[in-house]
Amino acid sequence: MRRIFYIVQKEFRQIRRVRANFAIIFVAPFFQLLIMGSAITTEVKNVPIATLDFDHSVASREILEAVRSTTSFTYVGAVSSEREAAAVLDRGRAKLVVAIPPHFEQQMKDGEAPRVQVLVDGVDGNSAGIALGYIQATLAREQVRMARFAPLAAARAAPRASTITVIPRMWYNPDLMSKLNIVPGLVAVLLMMLTMLLTAMNIVREKEIGTLEQLMVTPIGSIQLIIGKIIPFFVLGLMQLTVGIVAAGLVFGIWMKGSIFLLYAMAAIFCLSTLGFGIFVSTIARTQQQAMFMSWFFMIFSLLLAGFFIPIENMPQAIQDITYINPLRYFIVIIREIYLKGTGFRFLWKEALAMGAIGVLALTSASLRFRKRLK
Amino acid sequence: MNRILFSIVRKEFTHIFRDIQSLYLVLGMPLLMLFLYGYAITLDMRQIDTAVIDESHTPESRELISHLSSTDFFRITARDVPLSDIGDLFKERAARCVLIIPPSFARDLAATGDAQVSLIVDASDPNAANFIRNYVGQVVANENQALNPERSALFTVSPRIFYNPDMRSANFFVPGLIALILILITSLLTSIAIVREKETGTMEQILVSPIRPAQIIVGKVLPYTLIGFIDGVMILVVGSLWFKVPIAGSLALALGMMLVYVITGISLGILISTIAKTQAVAMLVAVTLTVLPSTTMSGFIFPISSMPVFLRWISDIIPATYFLEIIRGIVLKGNTLADLYRQALILLGMDILLIAVSVRAFRVRLG
Repeated sequence: MRRIFYIVQKEFRQIRRVRANFAIIFVAPFFQLLIMGSAITTEVKNVPIATLDFDHSVASREILEAVRSTTSFTYVGAVSSEREAAAVLDRGRAKLVVAIPPHFEQQMKDGEAPRVQVLVDGVDGNSAGIALGYIQATLAREQVRMARFAPLAAARAAPRASTITVIPRMWYNPDLMSKLNIVPGLVAVLLMMLTMLLTAMNIVREKEIGTLEQLMVTPIGSIQLIIGKIIPFFVLGLMQLTVGIVAAGLVFGIWMKGSIFLLYAMAAIFCLSTLGFGIFVSTIARTQQQAMFMSWFFMIFSLLLAGFFIPIENMPQAIQDITYINPLRYFIVIIREIYLKGTGFRFLWKEALAMGAIGVLALTSASLRFRKRLK
Repeated sequence: MNRILFSIVRKEFTHIFRDIQSLYLVLGMPLLMLFLYGYAITLDMRQIDTAVIDESHTPESRELISHLSSTDFFRITARDVPLSDIGDLFKERAARCVLIIPPSFARDLAATGDAQVSLIVDASDPNAANFIRNYVGQVVANENQALNPERSALFTVSPRIFYNPDMRSANFFVPGLIALILILITSLLTSIAIVREKETGTMEQILVSPIRPAQIIVGKVLPYTLIGFIDGVMILVVGSLWFKVPIAGSLALALGMMLVYVITGISLGILISTIAKTQAVAMLVAVTLTVLPSTTMSGFIFPISSMPVFLRWISDIIPATYFLEIIRGIVLKGNTLADLYRQALILLGMDILLIAVSVRAFRVRLG
């Protein structure tokens, strides 16, 4: 026990000695959260839109006005021909062009149901789909309004209508703000980055400068050494988590609904696996540079396969299967549940169990590998 | 002159091939990322777990439910749970939305022609919530159409999707990945290669030889330009053969613009090498200065127009922002230089500025 304590003490001294560590743990999370929390968004806003009116009637002007005033769009101007419409899409000046064909109003009066054409730049398929959804919703509303105020031939001809309306209610995030979802996830990602990277870099550095061998000729056992190395980074991780929680609250005004103790307990379980990965990387890498490369690599993959901003349910089955061994996948769910819904342990124990199993496995196999390497 | 340059290039290649592990990484990572981005990223939803609460128990309500469950979008996982359990249902993640058909549904529909249903959505994932609302809206709109067959719409909306008619995410990500990988490889490898010589002290040995600084830089940079280029071409080839990304524009233009962009990355790398003293620092600086902004703020995944203003300013000075517009323009839209001259000029301007600054900084360091 005493020996472990000495190592922990030594590590803390070394950490304290490097000024940059303070910045990494206490200051960087604020900036990382601010920038990434604002940049990573699945909302679609300020989409540049142009209009093309061949009809120049009251109806066409009303429809285009409704489109222009939709808050998700930024109106960039009117074009006067199909060729011009294609040109603004080609140059990327507009992502959408709403076109009203000639004789639109007349055809509407005659009940011929003319077509409003929407030309869409489909390069970014996801954003394009959402923007198109906004256009369709706007036009549907406009249609209802026109039918009510200007009873035209088509509407008059029909008998009394029966309609079902949907009244949606959005729980936990009524304004559908992306940041409520992304920011807690980021707190989890930052925790993973710090614990894994610092552990790997620290051990490899001792290898590089040769102090690891010096430690090995002392009576300290390799298990004691690993425990002594893990504890400081575990503590640092929880400290950074605290900073992350405060930063999310101060920068974005996002505070957790659920139990803070539950979150810390879950974070502790999660750290088992990230520390394990850190040690594992340190057994493979010979230089700090390699350690950094590998950790970075690891991180990108676990980030993409964690459901952080790409829903896992839509991935091909083979990739979905891989995500089950990704501890970040479970922790992202847990931290979001606790933050947004205040979910209790009753509904999170499965994730905790999976995360704990992966953590114990990663930590023991990495430690065994570490021990073998030293002998 | 040429012989000296050639020797430096050959020496650099020897370094690269000696560290075969890193070479695998440099060539393998783009491929891995290509497959991951090509397959894993799609944001739309299918088979959404849905609960329905039918308090009406009428043929009309059952028909609405069967229409909902017959689409590919919804999968009914719970029926007729008590209203007070909805919170638990969401916390258990057993359903993402609950459709509630009130007892008066069929009566209202027959009597007033105006019936309401409620949809409660777990909006903790706002992207999913948005899709759910739209999909349910579509199902109900179809139902309304079926209820009133003789009532025709005033007008219809017909979308025409340009450039990427099936809105495939691979078409979006494959050209985008070129922008990301090129800047990553060139700035990172260049800065590390130069700093390594500083760290090990061989840079001073080279400097006392009759080689001029410009020759060192060019000689060291050429191999990495080539590697960056190979990566870019590899992504294009695999993207078009495996992911069937159509290449609409001129291949020569694409390669030419890639060269301009590679020079940007390399001059950034040289600049970083003048600041950094150790390889670890060079790596950190390269990652924070190029990789992070190029992934998050360039429009690679997330649309720039959705970002707050201060981030849009940053994205305006990131080279990847312009190269993304160029490469997507050429590959997907079939853009010519006439469409892209603005982005191309900005990128060229950045090149000239960066080369001027980095060569000067390099000289100062050496002097």
